[in-house]
Amino acid sequence: MEYILKNGIVYDPANEINGEKKDVMFKDGIIVDDVSSDAKVLDVTDKIVMPAGIDPHAHVAGPKLVVGRLYRPEDSRRGVTQKTKVLRSESGFSIPSCPATGYRYSRLGYGTVVEAAMPPLEAKHTHELKISKGYGIKIVNPCGSEAWGWGMNVHGVNDKAPYFDVTSKEVIQALAKANEYLNLPHSIHIHPNDLGHPGNVPTTIETMDAVKDIKKSSKATIRDQVMHLCHLQFHSYTGNSWRDAASGAEEIAKYINKNDHITCDVGQVTLDETTTMTADAPMEYDLFKLSGLKWTNKDIECETAAGIIPCIYSGKSPVNSLQWAIGLELFLHIDDPWKVCLTTDHPNAGPYTRYPRIISWLMSNQRRTEMIENREVHKWVEKRTTLPTIDREYDFYDIAVISRSAPARIYGFEDRGQLTPGYRADIAVYDINPNDIDPSRQYAEIEKGFNVADYTIKDGQILVKDKEIVKVKESQNIWVNVKGYEKQEQKVIDDIMPFFTQYYSVKWENYPVHDHYLSNPIRVDVEK
Amino acid sequence: MTYEPPITDYDYIVENCTCAFCGCNCDDLDYLVKDNHVVAVRHACRLGASKIMEDMDQRLIVPMIRDENGELMEVDWDTALDKAAEYIANSVRPVFYGWSETSTECMKEGVALGEYIGAVLDNQATICHGPSLQAVQNAGYPIQTLGEVQNRADVIAYSGSNAMNSHPRHMARYAVFCRGYFRQRGRFDRTVITMDPKFSDTAKCSDKWIGFEQNGDYGFYNAIRAVLRGKELYQDVISGIPKEDIYELAEEMKAAEFGVLFFGLGLTHTLSKQRNIDIAIKMVQDLNRFSKWGLTPMRGHFNVNGFNIFMAFECGFAFGVDYCRGYPRYMMGETNTIDLLVRKEPDCFMVIAADPGAHFPNGANQHLANIPVIQIDIHWGPSTELADVVLPGSFIGVECAGTSYRMDGVPIYMKKAIDKPETCRDDEWIVRELKERVMKLREEPNTAPKYVPNPNAL
Amino acid sequence: MFSLKTITFDQIKTSSIALEFDELIPDEIYSWTEADFAKYEVPIGNSRFPITDFFDITVEGEAEGPSEVKMIINGDLNRVKYIGSKMSAGDIVCNSSVDLHVGAEMSGGSILVNGDAAAHAGREMSGGYLEITGNTKEFTGASYIGEWRGMTGGEIVVGGNAGKQCGECLTGGKIHVKGNCDILAGIHMTKGIIEIDGDVNRWPGGQMKNGTIVIHGFLGRLLEGFVLEGIVEDPEDSGVVFPGKYIKYTGDIGLNGKGNLYLDAEANKEKLSSYGELDDEYTSIREYRNL
Repeated sequence: MEYILKNGIVYDPANEINGEKKDVMFKDGIIVDDVSSDAKVLDVTDKIVMPAGIDPHAHVAGPKLVVGRLYRPEDSRRGVTQKTKVLRSESGFSIPSCPATGYRYSRLGYGTVVEAAMPPLEAKHTHELKISKGYGIKIVNPCGSEAWGWGMNVHGVNDKAPYFDVTSKEVIQALAKANEYLNLPHSIHIHPNDLGHPGNVPTTIETMDAVKDIKKSSKATIRDQVMHLCHLQFHSYTGNSWRDAASGAEEIAKYINKNDHITCDVGQVTLDETTTMTADAPMEYDLFKLSGLKWTNKDIECETAAGIIPCIYSGKSPVNSLQWAIGLELFLHIDDPWKVCLTTDHPNAGPYTRYPRIISWLMSNQRRTEMIENREVHKWVEKRTTLPTIDREYDFYDIAVISRSAPARIYGFEDRGQLTPGYRADIAVYDINPNDIDPSRQYAEIEKGFNVADYTIKDGQILVKDKEIVKVKESQNIWVNVKGYEKQEQKVIDDIMPFFTQYYSVKWENYPVHDHYLSNPIRVDVEK
Repeated sequence: MTYEPPITDYDYIVENCTCAFCGCNCDDLDYLVKDNHVVAVRHACRLGASKIMEDMDQRLIVPMIRDENGELMEVDWDTALDKAAEYIANSVRPVFYGWSETSTECMKEGVALGEYIGAVLDNQATICHGPSLQAVQNAGYPIQTLGEVQNRADVIAYSGSNAMNSHPRHMARYAVFCRGYFRQRGRFDRTVITMDPKFSDTAKCSDKWIGFEQNGDYGFYNAIRAVLRGKELYQDVISGIPKEDIYELAEEMKAAEFGVLFFGLGLTHTLSKQRNIDIAIKMVQDLNRFSKWGLTPMRGHFNVNGFNIFMAFECGFAFGVDYCRGYPRYMMGETNTIDLLVRKEPDCFMVIAADPGAHFPNGANQHLANIPVIQIDIHWGPSTELADVVLPGSFIGVECAGTSYRMDGVPIYMKKAIDKPETCRDDEWIVRELKERVMKLREEPNTAPKYVPNPNAL
Repeated sequence: MFSLKTITFDQIKTSSIALEFDELIPDEIYSWTEADFAKYEVPIGNSRFPITDFFDITVEGEAEGPSEVKMIINGDLNRVKYIGSKMSAGDIVCNSSVDLHVGAEMSGGSILVNGDAAAHAGREMSGGYLEITGNTKEFTGASYIGEWRGMTGGEIVVGGNAGKQCGECLTGGKIHVKGNCDILAGIHMTKGIIEIDGDVNRWPGGQMKNGTIVIHGFLGRLLEGFVLEGIVEDPEDSGVVFPGKYIKYTGDIGLNGKGNLYLDAEANKEKLSSYGELDDEYTSIREYRNL
């Protein structure tokens, strides 16, 4: 089937197309240069056309998410909608149910989302290394989760895990080297130590510095970085306690501006009631002691741990307001938008359905000033951050970078995130005329426009049309298969087998994710 | 027990099979197969082994329909499925109950059917660990996988659970006797505490038994929490326990390096029901101020947790999900099977891989006798006597592969070892067939003409 | 209260499957005529049936807003649930026992039930007045499961006895039970008042953080999480004074709670001395174990 999207205003940063009026054509799910005269015309005159969004860090399918759903029925109740002829019923606000997650991403014009946490033992649940069918290496609070096994935590990159003579710095360096040795398309994806603790800026900078000298694999041509830091907002606090905490965003941003081996996503606080869930379990227990609401924890043998608590981010709270401002500061202080991605670390800092609101904040200095002046946020924002002094505003091109092109480059995707012929036809169209709108003043229209895409096209199939979901497509899983290391792989397996047999509670044969669980997988092969 | 000589007469061994009995989901079983029949099972406990080996005992082989005289008559698959689909399609308040002894793949079809027709989907949690789930929803869920217990735990507490009898390999494989990375001496490195009104078999092999009075659970745990906060107890005896014992227990729990509380139906079904678990969870959260503690419900069926996890994944609610208005609802006392049956609401009941005839209270079964009941199961049981349509399924983990979730939430792929009887079908296939037939018979009720977003989620 | 429009529901037949009345609240139907009701289908199970099959509906007078509406429902309402749920104004009078969720999530107006109510009456109310002349079952004025913010305002009066966990997670408002109360009244409550005229068998105020529970009758068993403060006279909370002498406890200490529990001093005299005896069976097994 051939289609032509006519007269749209195209933003495609990967090809340096900045708001040109042009047609986008695709055939059989692939973007093409030319189509025949039979092509179906979709009139998108003066509407924004972008590649479909890519969410680089969200928790949508991992095992801890389902624990979140299991134990927060009151959140599920908040988003209940009735089924229609096309759609199944939805539920949930901060942790939407499985179908609702897909529908809401489609409405936002997103086509790809990366689940950021999957312990191999429970990977079958995520249903998405050859063994656990993942895409890259994620490191969370290195050594901290091991210490949590004993109810402790580590502070700083040079702390040792109890009973193991290893520091988190060594873990990071070793895994970064392994990552480059295996030529993985994505770099290591790290959640540094000391998340959410005032005064964690030095730890964050040391973490970034630890991999400075590690060389990027020559085979990984798409990405530039050797380390991706996630939800950096939570790692940019100065001070000694929450009493004297302040923003360290400028310092972090300075480091990132100077060095090219780092990329990050922000984890912007959206000031909603949400559910925080992270593999940084000790931090969650600290949060629980503050809020006294309900605390969930899930330790997974030999691998990881996870903590979940409900969390109310409020503009009245000084700390939450500070977090809100730090997130925006990071966006605005990091000069190169290619180094930063738009995330809320869904659902930790807020649900992903709030992306349009963040876009409106980024595009409108007026709105930010209004929020500060109208006391929609606490006065700490003025006193302890540089946000009121920044008047930078993102334009549509920058927005397209942080929500599509940068994540695609960071993950080394070779098939999506661009409107280049030969790529997958993942396209989003928004009902905004960029030549006829002043985002600074009309921030409400910006939020509304990005809230529901006019069209969301995934692999050439129209999922959203005229802001209504018209079709539901089965999801696909992307996983990396590393080739050329079969011998070494066998040796590793032989080495760990005695350990595994003795200390895991499942058998090796039942440990890998069987092909049975992968519905139309996309395998990315990586050669030696 | 009489001596049984080892089985030597078998064709081949299937290794690393998963046991389809309790929530331990032991995945290290070896089946000895002869003539497409499991003649012996290695490593399993007696409960698991006998279930697997006696799979042909009172086996349902062919589909049956109850005729006008009230007799079950054998029919072909088409007739039986059409009849069952007709019952479901014509119903106003259908309830689909069971699911805990079938695979997650089958549940997927079940949810599709339930959401289409607007049914209540519920599983055995409603009569066993439902209160635990409700408590989890109120208080949180500090859980760990069983391997974590094996490798680290030095204090194991069982409360209201007789693991020795109900989960025979639990103590051996995961919790007490096994050696772990930090517990190389196994049982000698661990302290076992049993809190149970009954001096159970588990209590007999524990280091400490706290025999609080029946229904006294809430007061007992509340007293421990008060002690953990440093309060002097003013009563001499609390819930049947002298206060000195409570001080001693609290100290012992605080001193643990890694403690785990396993609780069973003894805690979920006494006087204050979910609040017992609620306060036990709060106690565990308090204990985390002093050391590391977690807890795990001792789930009964091998996939009862799977249904809860799967439903939470699909619709955000764990069990007792009512789709009748076209969206999921979950409300205890309203959308749970027993409540509905006692209120005499349902007009069609599908039971899959469960035995309400044996487990439900009399009032609920009385109503079941009056309404069409569709049974999908492998064995003849009391529910078969209530059933109007009987659809013989297959045995997950033996005759058919599928996913199940262990009590701690670890998914396990249960593989197939032998072929199912020729006239039986996979549960997944049966439910899918029913779904397709129901879709032909009745247009989807209660669909909204247009998607309306929920204002609370904006 | 003065009302301009009266809508009377007279039952014609009952249903074995519950009717859901969540759409028939004054906020929705204040402008409806009899013809509108004739067109309306009420949800029952997975289907909808004409409301006129079950009720004869007469409409008298005119209303410009929900506050001018009075609904009178006559007949056996044991299978009619969600009466007055989410209503914000108007009056409802039910002349029979009602099913689940009467007055759930209501924010204003009043409901009078001349009979018993099933579970979840007045769940998560934020305002208004709900009176039940008979008994209620579990979770009167409680929260939705998992929610830690329960009833936040308004008043519930129960003429008879209340079931288990009355006022669970109460965060405001007042519940007055004129009869007895089952276990765990006011569990997890953080604010608000529960007044019980009759007796309570066990454990009121489990894990409460704040708020007030007043028991005029006899209390069977008290939790260890409560600390005896002594005898007080005429205590008050939010301007409501309870005259008389009371034994005051605060708790639940397990949560560093500052909730107040007042027991009538006369009815609970022996609470001031320690009590409890060791079960013989327990002692004997403990000895056996020690051997």
